[in-house]
Amino acid sequence: MTTEAEAINSERVAARLGLALGIAFTTCFVTGLYSHFAQHPSFGFELPSRPVGLYRVTQGIHVITGVASIPLLLAKLWSVYPKLFQWPPFESLTNLVERLAIFPLIGGSIFMLFTGLANINLWYPWKFNFPDTHFRTAWIVMGALAIHIGAKFSTSRRALKREPASGTTAAPVALERRRFLLTAFGASALVALFTVGQTFRPLRRLALLAPRRPDVGPQGFPVNGTARDTGAAKFINVTTYRLEVTGKVATALSFSLDELRALPQHSATLPISCVEGWSTSQHWTGVRVRDLLAMAGVHPHSEASVLSLQPRGSYRASILDRWQAHDPDTLLALLVNGEPLALDHGYPLRLIAPNRPGVMQTKWVTQLSAR
Amino acid sequence: MTDTAAGEIKQRRADRIGLGVGLLVGVPVMLVGVVGILRHPESTPIPNFLRYFVGGDILHDFLVAPIAVAISFLVLRRVPTVARAPLRAVLFGSAVVIAVAWPGIRRYGHAQVPDNHTVQPLNYATSTLTAVAVIATIAAIWLAAVLVRDRRATPESPAPTADHDT
Repeated sequence: MTTEAEAINSERVAARLGLALGIAFTTCFVTGLYSHFAQHPSFGFELPSRPVGLYRVTQGIHVITGVASIPLLLAKLWSVYPKLFQWPPFESLTNLVERLAIFPLIGGSIFMLFTGLANINLWYPWKFNFPDTHFRTAWIVMGALAIHIGAKFSTSRRALKREPASGTTAAPVALERRRFLLTAFGASALVALFTVGQTFRPLRRLALLAPRRPDVGPQGFPVNGTARDTGAAKFINVTTYRLEVTGKVATALSFSLDELRALPQHSATLPISCVEGWSTSQHWTGVRVRDLLAMAGVHPHSEASVLSLQPRGSYRASILDRWQAHDPDTLLALLVNGEPLALDHGYPLRLIAPNRPGVMQTKWVTQLSAR
Repeated sequence: MTDTAAGEIKQRRADRIGLGVGLLVGVPVMLVGVVGILRHPESTPIPNFLRYFVGGDILHDFLVAPIAVAISFLVLRRVPTVARAPLRAVLFGSAVVIAVAWPGIRRYGHAQVPDNHTVQPLNYATSTLTAVAVIATIAAIWLAAVLVRDRRATPESPAPTADHDT
């Protein structure tokens, strides 16, 4: 075996890369769980409205960690590739079980990184529902990872002990190992650097590989669903437009656009933080949701929902839990950066609230309903 | 019993215990995902899911990895030893950058939402070339640093012994 092969296919390289991937996948899993429960509240989970940019940070980390994991996974698979052809294929029952658990780990890891990368590019070549399937497969990968960590714990711990001192016969192999790891971690850092600008504005000019730029779009920021794609465009008529405040209210209310403009206006700088990992902060002006709910005689701890003019799609309605509904910065915005909203940003009225996934910042709002 | 044999027995026992703990934690976690998929075929059609789940692994093991082996054998072996690690970094880094940029280069996302000009707004072929150039520059600096270090470490003629004491 050459020095290079001995180095790359060593237990130490596999253990180092495995440790990094274990940390990266756990980070993605935890931030992914947070995103899931933010969009599908259950087990009593309510999305806090503060800190304002929490979701922006967690989802930015989720996507960048996933992208940075691609070279780490490739390097890890490369380092253990000869084991695929190991003969006999297993040495004991323990070894057989451990090897069987590797299949869902590798298949699932490739699946997660590929579907995640495709999703941030809004590319869906498959027939399954992306969020549901990505979420469920994450559990399979994390379970298989737990089995793999258990099976390899003792071996990896031994392999991660100190390098041999320079000058020994093993030193050239150790040097080659360091070079291979430097390549893998360097590639990981670079793809992260070339993508992170889609959420971290100061690095936007370095975002060579990012599917979005936070400064490109109508009024200087991106759009996920356009008025035409979502079908909302056909239903927007400024002359007949009304915002209805309904549901569990003491008094049902209805406002035209001019009547909304005449109400007390509030401004806030809030981010749109997309599940695809891009985000952008803008200065919004509009009517506070809590003021509208108070005008309709709604209980100050009640939840609310908003409904869009958009006729179809999972995101035509969204729920505001009690924290979000009564936060002073939760707005039905009429203006962004002092201008009326562009059609694709939700004209005439959109929801903007702190610490909330972008898909839940409902656009073209026509109804606010107390629950 | 020799120390080696005793060590092996100890190692196998540790592996068995580790695997047992791993199975205890991992199997229920895996089941959350498996049961979720089996119970919701409307959102996760199983044949299509398996096509991607198994297909990715097969594609890697029987196409991507053999290509990497072939490149490693045909290209890296033909360059001087000192240049192999930087060249491997260029090849690996470029492959990763191209893979990450591929949906953008082919404009797959933009093709699905042609009305949305904020999706994949860059010229990703140019972006990818720029990223590859950055990687190549870093690798060239790495190679130069190794060459300079090696030259300093192996002087052409040994220094006079007396100089060591001055």
